[in-house]
Amino acid sequence: MPHREPVLQGPRLLRPSEWGLVLAIVIAVGLTALADANHSYWFQPLESLRDIARNTALLGIFALGATVVIIAGGIDLSAGSMIALSGTVCATTMLLLAPLQMMGFKPVGPAIVAVACGASLLVGFLVGTLHTWLITSIRLPPFIATLATLVGLRSFARALCESSTAALTPTKSALINVSDPFFKMVRENVWIPVAVFGVLALITWLILSRTVLGRHLHALGGNEQAAKLAGIRTDNVKWFAYCFGAMSAALAGLFYVANESVAAPVNQGRGHELNAIAAAVVGGCSLAGGVGTVPGTVLGAIFLRVVIDAVSKLIKTGADVYEGLIVGIVVVIAVTFGQIGQMAKGGRRLLPGALGLCAIPTLAILCGTIVAMTTGTRSGLVSAFAAVVLLGLVRWWESRRTA
Amino acid sequence: MSHAQNAVVMQGITKRFPGVVALENVSLEVRRGELHAICGENGAGKSTLMKILSGVYQPDDGTLQIDGAEVGFASTRAAEQAGIAIIHQELTLVEDLSVAANVFLGREKCRRVGGIDFGFLDEQAMTKECGRLLELLECSVSPHARTANLRVGDQQLVEIAKALSLNASIVVMDEPTSALTESESARLERTIARLLASGTTILYISHKMDEVFRLADRITVLRDGRHVQTVNRADTTAREVTGWMVGRDISGVDFREPRSRGKKLLEIHDLLLPWPEHPRGYRLSNISLDLHAGEILGVAGLMGAGRTELLETIFGAVEPTWTGTIAVAGKPVRFRHPREACAARIAMVTEDRKRLGLFPDLDVAGNISLCSLTDTLVRGFVNRGREESLVAAPIRDTGVKTTGPHASIMGLSGGNQQKCIIGRWLLTKPHILLLDDPTRGIDVGAKAELYRLINQLCREGMGVILTSSELPELLALADRIIVLAEGRLTAEFERAEATEQNIMEAATL
Repeated sequence: MPHREPVLQGPRLLRPSEWGLVLAIVIAVGLTALADANHSYWFQPLESLRDIARNTALLGIFALGATVVIIAGGIDLSAGSMIALSGTVCATTMLLLAPLQMMGFKPVGPAIVAVACGASLLVGFLVGTLHTWLITSIRLPPFIATLATLVGLRSFARALCESSTAALTPTKSALINVSDPFFKMVRENVWIPVAVFGVLALITWLILSRTVLGRHLHALGGNEQAAKLAGIRTDNVKWFAYCFGAMSAALAGLFYVANESVAAPVNQGRGHELNAIAAAVVGGCSLAGGVGTVPGTVLGAIFLRVVIDAVSKLIKTGADVYEGLIVGIVVVIAVTFGQIGQMAKGGRRLLPGALGLCAIPTLAILCGTIVAMTTGTRSGLVSAFAAVVLLGLVRWWESRRTA
Repeated sequence: MSHAQNAVVMQGITKRFPGVVALENVSLEVRRGELHAICGENGAGKSTLMKILSGVYQPDDGTLQIDGAEVGFASTRAAEQAGIAIIHQELTLVEDLSVAANVFLGREKCRRVGGIDFGFLDEQAMTKECGRLLELLECSVSPHARTANLRVGDQQLVEIAKALSLNASIVVMDEPTSALTESESARLERTIARLLASGTTILYISHKMDEVFRLADRITVLRDGRHVQTVNRADTTAREVTGWMVGRDISGVDFREPRSRGKKLLEIHDLLLPWPEHPRGYRLSNISLDLHAGEILGVAGLMGAGRTELLETIFGAVEPTWTGTIAVAGKPVRFRHPREACAARIAMVTEDRKRLGLFPDLDVAGNISLCSLTDTLVRGFVNRGREESLVAAPIRDTGVKTTGPHASIMGLSGGNQQKCIIGRWLLTKPHILLLDDPTRGIDVGAKAELYRLINQLCREGMGVILTSSELPELLALADRIIVLAEGRLTAEFERAEATEQNIMEAATL
């Protein structure tokens, strides 16, 4: 009996969940425009757009790298440290080739800038190679291998920064100022990182959806054994994935240096690896591998930055303090949306047993504290109480439904 | 016989894995254009030998000749280039990819851009070619379909399409019909006939005798990693081949002297386990059965028929989305977790021993005591002494051959590992024992011991539900046999009326 199977690849531009993200972005922007007391989206639309575009491009560039690694069934935790190392390598190279100009805050010339940027990308390639070697030859799990480089590379970058400044400048320093006009130009023209992000996204999309390599990346992440038995050199495919991941982070590192006019290995890109993974996951990547799209990750990155920007507009001061919290909440909510349908169908409960009972006050305290810190003690207490009532109702309804 | 006649000559092939010799000094000659059947029990070395031929494994010893030239394959790709394609027994498809993508996996067709090959996929050409191959196989699925959504039989055909796309001169089929329905098997046989007519040599692994005798020109039998016989089909009988496979006549094994049936332990009525996002819509449908104390209920069915799902549903190991009633000792139950099933005195030995049964890092005692660790506590701590005395009884009762409770579980043979797992559950003093293909991958001698053990447990008053992929096993042990086909219960036989013939018919309904 013939029956029609759901067809996998249609001619459509975005998948339904990605249209959902587009909608979420529009809603987030709309709400911020309405709720922001300064109405900056109305009065300074270009500046707001520029801020969001720059931040999205910087996050997006290495989120694309994370996407490729995740689709190949791996994980790269080291992106943030790779950003710091890339910036340090770039600045150190310039310091080495033109110490006087660097110390005098003078232009070093386009040739030296090109060599320095090239050196950073080369280091990205080397780090990707190191990851692949650790994973395929030593057989470390990707999580362990890149956890080691997450910790190790940042320390390595700091040591490199200190020893190169000690050798080449009068004083040892934990940062290197970069004042070449090229970097100033990149900082002042937001379209440059945005264009680089756009082009990189297009290339990544072409590779993943239109080339043999992309097909093999999906196959590797979906079923490594089957990929091997199909004669695919899975180690080489992994090599590409991890190099792509590390080199995209290296590229982002150059933009971080341009943005801040300084290579500061202590703090640059710290924790950003998780934002990249979050953008990929919000965009529909499965950490089990084999599943994910470039449009999804691009939208995921935009959504993350839009929400972070919204919160910074709404809570005037110290918005960066809340950045991690926002990313965490957005990831949980985005993935929960995918799960709720299955939960209802699978007869699973949101708040089962003793665990569910303890989860109610936990969530209420979390919610109340956040509101109390941002808007005031009274509204904090009110929202904590509201959360208890709401979750209590959910639990009561669930226990009735299953009884 | 001249050498020019042989497509494949394997000589003195030996392959060892840690702790086992999978093949010992096996020689095989396959004539060009013939269908050569390789028969043997599970673990006889059939699949290993074919994996060596197709470059998955490299032999430790021995030589391989293809068309008279000596070769050594470092990889599957090298074997493919020599014109050898293998259709593996376990499906090796990437479920998230489309059918066409799977067929051309590792050998994608490319589209040149400006005369240069950038590695861009030529989807159109692959879709078209895949469609042509599927049509040849009389398979109606779309090349665009997501592979995960296909039925097992159609997935198998995708594997075959993959081999066909290579234009291989030698095709190895490793139990290709084990998951197919009757009509799908017939469809496959027509394909095989076409391949043979075009001069392809086929090596065909199967332990279905009717199939082998219908298709094969010659038959080779392996047993315990050794070559036993190679004969012309016309010169032998199914009975003789089966005899070579097991090394002795097993028809004498019969534990079916009357057992006394006790009170009703389990009753299932109109069980339906839904399967959302699958064309069939259910994993199990319309299942009704009962089980009494002192009775062995056999569950027969092909791969993917729902045997494991049935046991898992009873054991609370699936999300409780089923409808219908399951009653244990007269009381309706709905287990949400295997723990609740354990509390109701139900035990389950899983099908995939390595993945779902054993804890390779625990020793023999640790593997057996796992479900009853609370009995070993002294002041809240696990006491090794009490653990040892606790596991002594099941080790003795199930007849585990081990150097002691602290031996490594991975050092035991498959049969002894299985006895350890049964021992683990005996410690929970179950009334109902669910055994999911307990003799899979176990050698003949150990099988007989397990049969004796199961029979004895049953006589002591336990109710046993036993699934098996081998019908003779069910026929030898079970009091009653129910048959599943694609999730439906299609027949129930009392021991007197059950034969391999009528069970197979019901399993392919």
